[in-house]
Amino acid sequence: MALTSPEVTQHVVESKLKQEGSDRSGTAFQVLLISCLVIVLGALVALLASVSGDGLNTLSSRGIADFVLRPFSIRPEKTGVFQGIVGTVTTAVIVALLAFPLGVASAVYLEEYYHDNWLTRLIDTVIRNLAGVPAVVYGLLGYALFVGGPFKSLTGGRSVLSAGLTLSILVLPIVVITSAEAIRAVPKSLREGGYGVGATRWEVTKTLVLPNAFGGILTGTILGLARALGEAAPLILVGANTSVFSGGGWGDLTGSFTAMPMIISDWSTRPAAKWNGVTQAAILVTLLIVLGINTVGIILRNRFDKKK
Amino acid sequence: MISKKHRASITAALVLPALMLGACSAKDDSTTSTNTDAPKANTEVSGSIVISGSSTVEPITALVAEEFMAQNSNVDITVDGPGTGDGFELFCNGETAISDASRPIKEEEIAACEEKGIEFIELKVGIDGLSVITSEDNEVECLSFQDLYALVGPESEGFSKWTDAQELAAELGSKTTFPDNNLVVTAPGAESGTFDSFVELVIEAAGEARVEAGKITEDEVASARDDYSASPDDNAIIEGVTFDPGGLGWVGFAFADQAEGVKLMPVSEEANGECVAPTAETIQDGSYPISRSLYIYVNKAQAEENKGLGAFVDFYLEGLSGFVESADYIALADDAETIATWENRTVGTREG
Repeated sequence: MALTSPEVTQHVVESKLKQEGSDRSGTAFQVLLISCLVIVLGALVALLASVSGDGLNTLSSRGIADFVLRPFSIRPEKTGVFQGIVGTVTTAVIVALLAFPLGVASAVYLEEYYHDNWLTRLIDTVIRNLAGVPAVVYGLLGYALFVGGPFKSLTGGRSVLSAGLTLSILVLPIVVITSAEAIRAVPKSLREGGYGVGATRWEVTKTLVLPNAFGGILTGTILGLARALGEAAPLILVGANTSVFSGGGWGDLTGSFTAMPMIISDWSTRPAAKWNGVTQAAILVTLLIVLGINTVGIILRNRFDKKK
Repeated sequence: MISKKHRASITAALVLPALMLGACSAKDDSTTSTNTDAPKANTEVSGSIVISGSSTVEPITALVAEEFMAQNSNVDITVDGPGTGDGFELFCNGETAISDASRPIKEEEIAACEEKGIEFIELKVGIDGLSVITSEDNEVECLSFQDLYALVGPESEGFSKWTDAQELAAELGSKTTFPDNNLVVTAPGAESGTFDSFVELVIEAAGEARVEAGKITEDEVASARDDYSASPDDNAIIEGVTFDPGGLGWVGFAFADQAEGVKLMPVSEEANGECVAPTAETIQDGSYPISRSLYIYVNKAQAEENKGLGAFVDFYLEGLSGFVESADYIALADDAETIATWENRTVGTREG
C-alpha cells in the first residue's frame, strides 16, 4: 500500500540525488509554526507579566492567606476574595455533579444507541449550535428559570445554586460534543470484537467504549468547566453580589453569593490607584484556581490512560 | 494497574486542595475595624437588612455596613449597587429595607411604592460633585455651561474638532477660545445616574436659551450628543480622556480627584462668568455648580419592626460625615435636617 504519493517520493529522491540542500519550504513551514507558538505564548506571558507586578506585591505584602480568607471590604487594603473563592469552587462542584453525568450520558446515547436519521442529525446540529451561543444568553435563561422563574423557591433566587445551574446549562453542549468526539475515536474494531464474543451493547459500552474514551471525555469536560468558571456575564444576570454581604461561606447554597470573575470585573471599575493591586491579586488567585482544576483533570486523565 | 505509589499521589492531589479549602473559613472580622472614630453600634439587636440601589452611594453604605457588622455580628447586612432605578424597583416591591440613591425618587417610583403600601423616609447623606475632565495638555482654563453645551450637547453631534463647536458657543455668548484639537468625548452612558445629573444640571440649563430661540425642542435638549464613546467604567473614561490631547469627559469628583493625567476643569454657570474649580470646599458650600445630593431611602414599616434596621440607620447617621468622607464623597455642611427627618420618621420626599 502506497503511503505517499509518487510525486512526493520522486521530488524527495530527486533532490537527494542532486545534493540540493534539504527542502526549503519545509524549513519555512517550521519557522512559521514556531512563530505561531511564540505569538500564543507571548500573549500568555504578557497577561501574566501585566498582572503579576502589582498583584504579586499585594499578595506578598498582605500574605496570601490574609487575602484569600477575608470577605469583601470596601477598603482595598482590607478586602479579600474568600466569598469569591467559595462561590467559584461551589459553582464548579455543582457544574461537575450536574453537567458531567448528564452530558456524558447524552453523548453515549447519541454515539452508541441512536439510529442515524433526520431527527438525530437535527439534534446533533442543534447541540453544536448551542455550544456557540454567547454566555450572556445563558445568563438570561438562568435568570428567567432560576432567579425569578419557576425554580425560585428551590434556588432562593440570587444564589450560588442558581449560578451553578445556569453554568451547568452553559457547559452541557460542550460536554456533550467533546464526549461524543472521544467516544467516536474509540476504534470500531474494538466494539466489533466485543459483539463478536457475544457481549450486549451495554456490556460493550461499559467495558470497552467508556474506559477507552474516558481520557478524552475528561479533557473536554475539564476545559469546559474551566471556561465556565471564567464567565462573568451570566453571573451578572444571575445576580452575583459585588459589595459587602454577610454569608457566602461554605455550604450556603441559597444565600447571596459572588464569584471570582465578578470580583475582578467589579474591582477593575473602582478607582484604579487604590484597587489595581488587589484586582491583579484576584486575577492571580483565579488563575491558580483554574490551574488547580485543570491539574486534577490531567491527573485523572493520566490515570485512565495508564490503566488502558 | 497503577502502582500503589501512583495511587497515593492521586489521592493526595485530590484530597489536599479539598482539605485546604475545607480549612478555610471566613476570618473573624470583629477585630479588623480600623476606623477608631466609628460610633458605637447597638450590640443588643439582631436581624437582617437587605440594601440595594445606587452604585455611587454603595461605597458609603458598604463602609457603614462593614463597621456595623464588625461591632455587632448578629445583624446580617447585604449591600449591592446595581443602580438607583433598579434599587427603587426592589425597594418599592418590598424586597429591600434601604435603597441607596444618587437622585431623588421619581413620581412613578413613588406611585409604585404607594401601590404596595410602602412608606419611605428620605435621608440626604452626602454630596457628590461631577468633574469635567480634559487631557492635562489642554490649554483651556475654564469651560462655561454654554461651552459644554456646544461641545457635548444634542446640537454638537458630528463635531469632531473643538473648533467645530466655536460658532455654537459664540452664539450662546461664550468668549472661550477652543484649541485646534480633535474632540474626543468619553463619558458615562445614558443608563447611568452620572449622565442624568450632567444633562440635567449642565445641558438643560444652558440649552434653555436654544429652546427659547426655537432652535431645538424641549425634549431634544434633555440629552447629550449620541456620537460619543460611552462607558460604565470610570477607569475607561479616564483612559479615554487622557488618550488624546483633545479628550473631554465627566466623572464623579472622587474618581477624577484620584486619577492621574487628567485636568479637573474649572467651570462657570454663566458664559464668561466666575470660574470655580471642583474641590471638597467648593462642592460642600455649593459654589461649584455641578453637584448632586446622595440619599438613602428607608422603609418605614420595616424600620419600626426590625430593631436591627433602626440601629443600623442610627449608626449610619451618628458617624455620617466620617463615613461619607472615608468613601471620598463630600459631607453635608449641616446634617441636622437629615437627623431630624430620621428622628421624627418623616415620610415622603422633599426634593421636587
